Amino acid sequence: MRKALVVLSVVMLMVSLNFGATTITVWGMGEAKGLKQVTELFMEEYPEYEVDFQAIPWSNAYEKILTSIAGRQVPDVAQMGTTWMAPFGSMGAFEDLAPYIENSEVVKPENFFEGAWESGIVIGKQFGIPWHVDVRAMFYRTDLLTQVGYDHAPQTWDELYDAVKKLHENGSRYGISLYQPQDNYQIFFPFVWQNGGDIFDSEGNVIVDQPEFVEALEYYTKFFTEGLTPISGSGNIFQDFASGDTPIYFSGPWMINMTREQTPQIDGKWDVALMPEKKSKTSFMGGSNLVIFRDSKNKEVAWKFIEFASRPENQLLAYQITNELPAVRQAWKDPLLQADPMIATFGEQLNDAKAPVNVPEFHEIAAAIDNMVQQTIYARKTPEQAAQDLKKEIEKILK
Amino acid sequence: MKTPLRAIISFIGPSIILLMIFMLIPIVVSLIISFTDFDVYAIYDWGKASFIGFENYVNLMHDPLFWRALLNTLYALVVAMPLTVVLSLSFAALINREATHFKNFFKVSFYLPSITNTVAIAIVWAWMFNPDYGLINWFLGFFGIQGPNWLGDPLWAMPSVIMLVVWKAVGYNVILFTAGLQNIPDYLYEAAELDGASRFQQFLHVTIPSLRPTIFFVTVMTVIGYLQLFEEPYMLTAGGPLNATLSIVLYLYRQGFEFFKLGYASSIAFVLFLMIFALTFIQMRARRLEV
Repeated sequence: MRKALVVLSVVMLMVSLNFGATTITVWGMGEAKGLKQVTELFMEEYPEYEVDFQAIPWSNAYEKILTSIAGRQVPDVAQMGTTWMAPFGSMGAFEDLAPYIENSEVVKPENFFEGAWESGIVIGKQFGIPWHVDVRAMFYRTDLLTQVGYDHAPQTWDELYDAVKKLHENGSRYGISLYQPQDNYQIFFPFVWQNGGDIFDSEGNVIVDQPEFVEALEYYTKFFTEGLTPISGSGNIFQDFASGDTPIYFSGPWMINMTREQTPQIDGKWDVALMPEKKSKTSFMGGSNLVIFRDSKNKEVAWKFIEFASRPENQLLAYQITNELPAVRQAWKDPLLQADPMIATFGEQLNDAKAPVNVPEFHEIAAAIDNMVQQTIYARKTPEQAAQDLKKEIEKILK
Repeated sequence: MKTPLRAIISFIGPSIILLMIFMLIPIVVSLIISFTDFDVYAIYDWGKASFIGFENYVNLMHDPLFWRALLNTLYALVVAMPLTVVLSLSFAALINREATHFKNFFKVSFYLPSITNTVAIAIVWAWMFNPDYGLINWFLGFFGIQGPNWLGDPLWAMPSVIMLVVWKAVGYNVILFTAGLQNIPDYLYEAAELDGASRFQQFLHVTIPSLRPTIFFVTVMTVIGYLQLFEEPYMLTAGGPLNATLSIVLYLYRQGFEFFKLGYASSIAFVLFLMIFALTFIQMRARRLEV
């Protein structure tokens, strides 16, 4: 009896090895309903492959990837937040995709938004192919702005400050929402880019003590010291927006549907606009890439899957399911995305958006920036002082 | 009778093995890693980490943020620990009184925070702490008090966190104290009453001494718990504003799992381990002297 069982299991093992479909594992982050749908279509088109799809909540994903790398239990393909590319990429966990891209019909750099494509490059290697993008734009209350004489969204830094001040005088408790305790650089840094500043210059020198950076920090700080924006981020952005306490804020496309659902009482009284302009209207670009792990045993299949996911029609499908914006330019020509003017605004903003630099120390630098921003908005340091200290801090981090 | 070795192994073996895998080995590995420069590049290829002796510990001593985190944690401990013990003992005594109505209701309401997910709690408390429309400042408004910007003010952020952790810890300790109180034999109180002791004197001279083992256990556990303060500041303030709520474990988490400086993080973990060990040791010593 026992012998028969052994023989049977050995036979089954051989059968599954020889005749079973090649299986790849794909990790999608968050709800990942869109990517899941894509895997199902993929299996329909390639019946010889099997995809084991796992949805992992964003909140667990970072540690889960880390432990999977340390324990060598990686999936073949995974969706990766853009700011996670650098640390995991520099560990050497991802496959360099350059040779695959060279021979690909579908995945070409020019098919994607520039900022999104660059977010996949770490230490000079193309580790990620953009899957979805998200970009910040300005949400504003049209009715309240009309009351203070603005029949359009504030378009420049001066107009933004002026409008916020007038809104505040007109009865809004604040005027704008600018601060979040976690990852505040996402809100703050676009101002630096808009003023032509950055963390590094093209030669890799730290340039946060330059006038462009200091001026952006001064401008940002002014809203806090003058009481035009709440200094703790524990409010409810929807309620504050609906009540008119913070009639302007910056956020991503997911807020469109959420605002429509959560605060129907202000339907038709708000809109989305491009970022305010100083030297440019640059915004923060986030989103996710698809990567292949170096320890994957089925890299060819994994690549086929990424190519499949990069087809415009599949990107559109994911958008329909989850409202994640497609990273492929071609998809944006579809009437589906053009029909909603708010989404179209986000599409326009994508042409002027930057992803954070892909250095392995990025999270440490971001924490240093957050800390420095707090020093100035709590008036512990002047913007000049803070910027100079930040420069030393970043240089120390990079050693 | 001599117990055969085989019996000993089969009874305690499994728990020893589990203890090794999940406690001892990680502690030893963490100690070893704390002497290396294990960083982001070494996670994939361990060969890239090298031994650097006590460099991490030396750096730690010169790291102002570590000292800040240490002070913050001790601040939380010193305020929250006595509060927790006094509050839970008082509540337990009240619940244990025969005259108290709705005992089960109170037991449940005290215990509920202990089993509720901290993330959910933190979201609700962040709302309550909101300076503009939070429940706490609204309530203070009735007495004409203008409440502070709880989480946004560097002075008030840590007290806010302490309020939350005490509220969360009380219920669990109330249960422990209630169990302890019920073990005190009635004749002690009867004797004290015959001797003319007042209620308060009875509490002081009968209840407290009989509860010594429970009080000891509760203080040791709360000290350990508060030294490991992490989730609440992580959720409520992310260590801010101006690092006012940065705790040791939060700093450790940041260094290890955000910045991937696992060597450095391990050295923090080891310092924390030594602190907990030392404090527990002192408490045990103090208890032995008492008895």
